[in-house]
Amino acid sequence: MKTQIKPAAVGALGIAGALLLWQYLATGPMNGSALPAPGHAIAELAALLATGTFWADLADTILIALGGLAISAVAGIAAGLLIGSFAPVRYATMAVLEFLKPIPPIVVLPLVVLVLGPTAQMSWVLVVIGCALPIVMQTVAGVHDTDPVARDTARSYGMGHAEILLRVTLPGAMPFIGTAMRVAAPAALVVAVVAGLLGGGPGLGQSIYQAQAAGDFPVLYALVLVLGLLGLVFQGATRLAERRLLHWHESYREVVL
Amino acid sequence: MTATAPNSFRRAAGRHTVQEDPMTVRDAAAALPRLEVTALSKTYGSGGSAKCVIEDLTFTVNTGEVVCIVGPSGVGKTTLLKCLAGLQPVTSGAAAIDGRKIDGPPAEMALVFQDYNRSLMPWLTVRKNIRLPLRHLRLQAAELNQRIDTALEAVGLTHAANQYPWQLSGGMQQRVAIARALAYRPEILIMDEPFASVDAQTRFELEDLCLKIRDDFGMTILVVTHDIDEAVYLSDRVVVLGAKPARVLDVVDIDLPAPRDQISSRALKEFADQRTNVLSMIRKPA
Repeated sequence: MKTQIKPAAVGALGIAGALLLWQYLATGPMNGSALPAPGHAIAELAALLATGTFWADLADTILIALGGLAISAVAGIAAGLLIGSFAPVRYATMAVLEFLKPIPPIVVLPLVVLVLGPTAQMSWVLVVIGCALPIVMQTVAGVHDTDPVARDTARSYGMGHAEILLRVTLPGAMPFIGTAMRVAAPAALVVAVVAGLLGGGPGLGQSIYQAQAAGDFPVLYALVLVLGLLGLVFQGATRLAERRLLHWHESYREVVL
Repeated sequence: MTATAPNSFRRAAGRHTVQEDPMTVRDAAAALPRLEVTALSKTYGSGGSAKCVIEDLTFTVNTGEVVCIVGPSGVGKTTLLKCLAGLQPVTSGAAAIDGRKIDGPPAEMALVFQDYNRSLMPWLTVRKNIRLPLRHLRLQAAELNQRIDTALEAVGLTHAANQYPWQLSGGMQQRVAIARALAYRPEILIMDEPFASVDAQTRFELEDLCLKIRDDFGMTILVVTHDIDEAVYLSDRVVVLGAKPARVLDVVDIDLPAPRDQISSRALKEFADQRTNVLSMIRKPA
């Protein structure tokens, strides 16, 4: 019975249902409020696509989100490998990291704006603050999850510390790192937008703020639609990357036997 | 050639044509203790909670010998191998290769773990798993590939080179682990219950493979096993350990004729006698 369900068809139904609900809310109970009808927002979106500033803003947001994510990944994975592998480093850092972990990037936003102003750098810094720490923590967990037998094997063959870290511990921790990246990718996008919305950094966040300030709600919701689509793309891309990178892991294996 | 048997083996194996009669290599080298374990003790913890796992263990393994260590389960055999492989420090006494004390993983030694499915990297193909420990040797590409091909051929897995370990059966995975050790070209091969989790037929094949690589490559092989029949079949000598803490009960010379054969060797009266001899030592209450 389950096999007859077509995911794409059901997904399309879900989207149609959501649009219908939106249409109902905008024309029914919320008529006259700031919420435009979906057709209106989509028409604005089409108009936006024809403007150069929209594409520049979109590029800014994507660059900030992906750039911040890349910095977070490189720094976070490197730090996580060191913290997870060497006990003294772990003792020295874990209390501080655990302390910082529950602090959301929004909380440090005013401070960062104060120091860096409403600039792209400010947005980059916020994205890194938001993404790096979870990646560090997950990498540490991944390192602890790697098989000691695998590491003993590498040691018994005379492989050095650095080589073991790179060729045994890192791939062994990849399932955890993959999960961290899948969570961090949409988070990077959210922070990149928030930095523009509340901190005045460049990109779609700032456009949303300006549309809101001007009371141009159809444009605001057109931009929100863009963000939603962008989120879908980010999620899909990380899923795809994870599947390719972790094809060997139990959860992705295609049994050939 | 007498004194340099291990080295000449190395060079010969590099060309993949072992010219020497393996028996000559073994006979000539028989007087050389390759691996010496002297009064080795291992204690975990300290003070009141200290647990002595190995106490005052002494035995030697000569060049080209296959020596099996048998003993009741939980006797600390795996701990012993980890000490020999330089993965764990000893508490007192010493293990030495050619008189050099082992205080880290020795370059001329390879270790085949009991948990083959955990010692193979699931993200690497069979070929890349075998290549992994060879990378830091910085071999030329041609020799690297030749070593891998030869090792794969020796264990009969040439066809599985590009598969992942988890796509293979348990016996095949264990053969990959052995191939990885072979390609590393160790002079001393240590195996921890290497055939424990494979079916009987595969087990016989792997035992014969073990004897074949000793003959072909002139390796010195130390095997921990709980299977007395296997120990008698494989060994030139059997080190019988008693529990607990582990100590040597006896070292039994096994002089079954070579080459050994799964059917005829096991049918010999000497085989049954030695088997009974070792088994009664293990079963005897301490």
